[in-house]
Amino acid sequence: MIKYDKFTLENGLTVLFHKDITTPMAVVNTLYDVGARDESEDQTGFAHLFEHLMFGGSVNVPEFDTPLQLAGGENNAFTSNDVTNYYDVLPANNIETALWLESDRMLSLAFTDKSLEVQRSVVIEEFKQRYLNQPYGDVWLELRPLAYTIHPYKWATIGKEIKHIEDATMNDVKAFFKKFYTPSNAILCIAGNLELEDVKSLVTKWYGDLPKLEKPLRNLPKEPEQNEFREKTIERDVPANAFYYAFKMVDRKHADYFVYDTLSDALGRDKSARLYITLKKELNLVSNISAYVTGSLDEGLLVISGKLNDGVSFEDLDQALWNELEKVQKEQIHPLELEKIMNKIRTAKEFGDQGILNRAMNLCSYELLGDASLINKESEMYHQITPEDILRVAKVTLNKTNCSLLKIKSTNAK
Amino acid sequence: MLNRTFQPELKAIDHIDFIAPVKYALNEEVSLFHMRDVADETCRFDLYFDAGKCRGLKGVPNFVNGLLLSGTNQKSSIQIQEEINGKGGFFESGVSVENAVISVYCLRENLWSIVETIADAIKNTAFIEKEVTEFLSDARQKLKINLEKMSYLAQVEFQQRLFASHEHYSNVLQLEDFENITIDQLKEFHATHYLNGLSKIVVVGNVEDELVSNIKTMFQPLALKSPLAFEKGLKNLPGEHIVDKENAIQTAIRLGRILFNKKHPDYIDFLVLNTILGDYFGSRLMANIREDKGYTYGIGSMVAETDDTGYFLIATEVRKDVREDTLNEIRFEINRLQNELVSTTELELVQNYMLGQLLKALTVLMP
Repeated sequence: MIKYDKFTLENGLTVLFHKDITTPMAVVNTLYDVGARDESEDQTGFAHLFEHLMFGGSVNVPEFDTPLQLAGGENNAFTSNDVTNYYDVLPANNIETALWLESDRMLSLAFTDKSLEVQRSVVIEEFKQRYLNQPYGDVWLELRPLAYTIHPYKWATIGKEIKHIEDATMNDVKAFFKKFYTPSNAILCIAGNLELEDVKSLVTKWYGDLPKLEKPLRNLPKEPEQNEFREKTIERDVPANAFYYAFKMVDRKHADYFVYDTLSDALGRDKSARLYITLKKELNLVSNISAYVTGSLDEGLLVISGKLNDGVSFEDLDQALWNELEKVQKEQIHPLELEKIMNKIRTAKEFGDQGILNRAMNLCSYELLGDASLINKESEMYHQITPEDILRVAKVTLNKTNCSLLKIKSTNAK
Repeated sequence: MLNRTFQPELKAIDHIDFIAPVKYALNEEVSLFHMRDVADETCRFDLYFDAGKCRGLKGVPNFVNGLLLSGTNQKSSIQIQEEINGKGGFFESGVSVENAVISVYCLRENLWSIVETIADAIKNTAFIEKEVTEFLSDARQKLKINLEKMSYLAQVEFQQRLFASHEHYSNVLQLEDFENITIDQLKEFHATHYLNGLSKIVVVGNVEDELVSNIKTMFQPLALKSPLAFEKGLKNLPGEHIVDKENAIQTAIRLGRILFNKKHPDYIDFLVLNTILGDYFGSRLMANIREDKGYTYGIGSMVAETDDTGYFLIATEVRKDVREDTLNEIRFEINRLQNELVSTTELELVQNYMLGQLLKALTVLMP
């Protein structure tokens, strides 16, 4: 059971506090309700580029990192298609330094030209290092626009192309900040061995005078129901053929979300999952195969991916895979199989909630979903899943007309 | 009116509560260390073996490590995986230059059951031909994919020159290793370095002493019987080496030397120097090559230890046209450290940062 307190400032900032007496460290985690899905299609990669600029100095503090390091702390951030999350970890008795730094960059950035120019270059190198200069690195740049036709999930967080990052202007940067980096669009979580009253007064001191601004309205196009099998083959100079079957699934708030997650575990979480045993151990078609859900806030994907063994054709795999997917739609999974999957989910949850940084980030994520207390209800949601649920979800999901298939064909595989 | 231009008053880290593990001896050479101070249900279990890369050639150490759960005469690899996964366990294994480690993450209620499965799998690995063939085919594909990565190519070339003075240390996995391997070679390595090669056990989790003691007994037969001994006086081969890779859009750089380990009186001083140069976000290399010039997504330096010595490494991936500029800037930063005193402000910052990191490391038992 993860306990927390919640309060809201007059400017709309939501604050969560999680007390942990076992650690001398504290965490200040700030989640902004903005991600790559909020970008316009001709300016992709912007939310992530912006995350980099958040470290380029704020209106009253020329450098973000230096004072935090001087306080014995460290920080980092990440951007997804849904959110942008910043965290600081530092000795609890210096927590005020983190609140000073975070509140100042929520107030306003320094917006220096140098910062924009340098971070533009850094992000372009990140684009190359992670997506272009890696075998199979561009898979998601190709799979997203195949699976999504109008929803902004059709581009990756890093952006559609380098050119969008090259073209970003200071005016764009300022407008993005003004629209999305407001107290009402943020969730702050503080964790550590602190007292609630002290947290309240410190947060009020540093964030209380930030102006109240409207939370931006989100009105994203809804992805139409998929009624056709989509397939794309791209040729790449890679050592092995690779496949990615992406099935549309529900959004993160849907009651069936956990059923989908469990279904993907049954198919391909580990080396005792169905696809691994059949397609690899019995038929020896693949070198590896796994199944997972994207976990996105809007309608997500259940993905089955892997690499073919030398000499195996995409057709061989395709036939064997659909056979296996048919089984899970015809026959209920055995309660014992479900129990084993639940054991793994329980272990992962216990590790996932370990440490104040994980807990602070998770509390913010659940609060964004609507209620931080969901963090304590998740295990129960998994526990209630029945073999009938899995069967029902498999039936409506694992169909060809709900599937987008990306094949990476090796130009030098045997 | 709140003054936002000044940093709130800082408090120094005045003390750190170190926690010590309980030690159980398997014999004179080998111990089990138990850390019990875990506030939740999680548990971690590590077995260390004297089965590192330096103990064999031609990929044998890697292959044997990867095949530890591949089945016994009684149990298939599928059954073994079922038993571990069915109890919610996560299994990891890996080989470094001087060690092989296997790790399990699980809930404490399942620890004993998983330990039993793993002990049986390791003690009775049968190296079944079908499993070996499949494993080698997968490993070969993985190597071929790695050979397409600039970072991997640079790391491999670096390691060959870093450990140039010793054939086993500088040895790296080659595609031809897959053609020549025999099951007997695997069995022999397993018998020597696993069945008689256990060098350390670590258990982290809130479990009873009796359980820990049972784990000790379970693995006692595998314990090393003579002291661990490693190569002394490793020397690197100085010089610059360039690997050309067609169509690469970035250049990976690895640069370093043999240094020393924590037994050396300068070790702590060097750790501070290393942090200043390249081991935190505000380091001189990051400030210069990323934050000033924008040549890279990241650059860092690190210190690693071997039994007798250690090494120092700088690693980055940079835009292709700035390779020489980057090397010049790295030289510039090293020269600066050799010729100019570090300011008290910078030194204080790095010391505070390192103390904070130490405090943090002691509170997070599972990385």
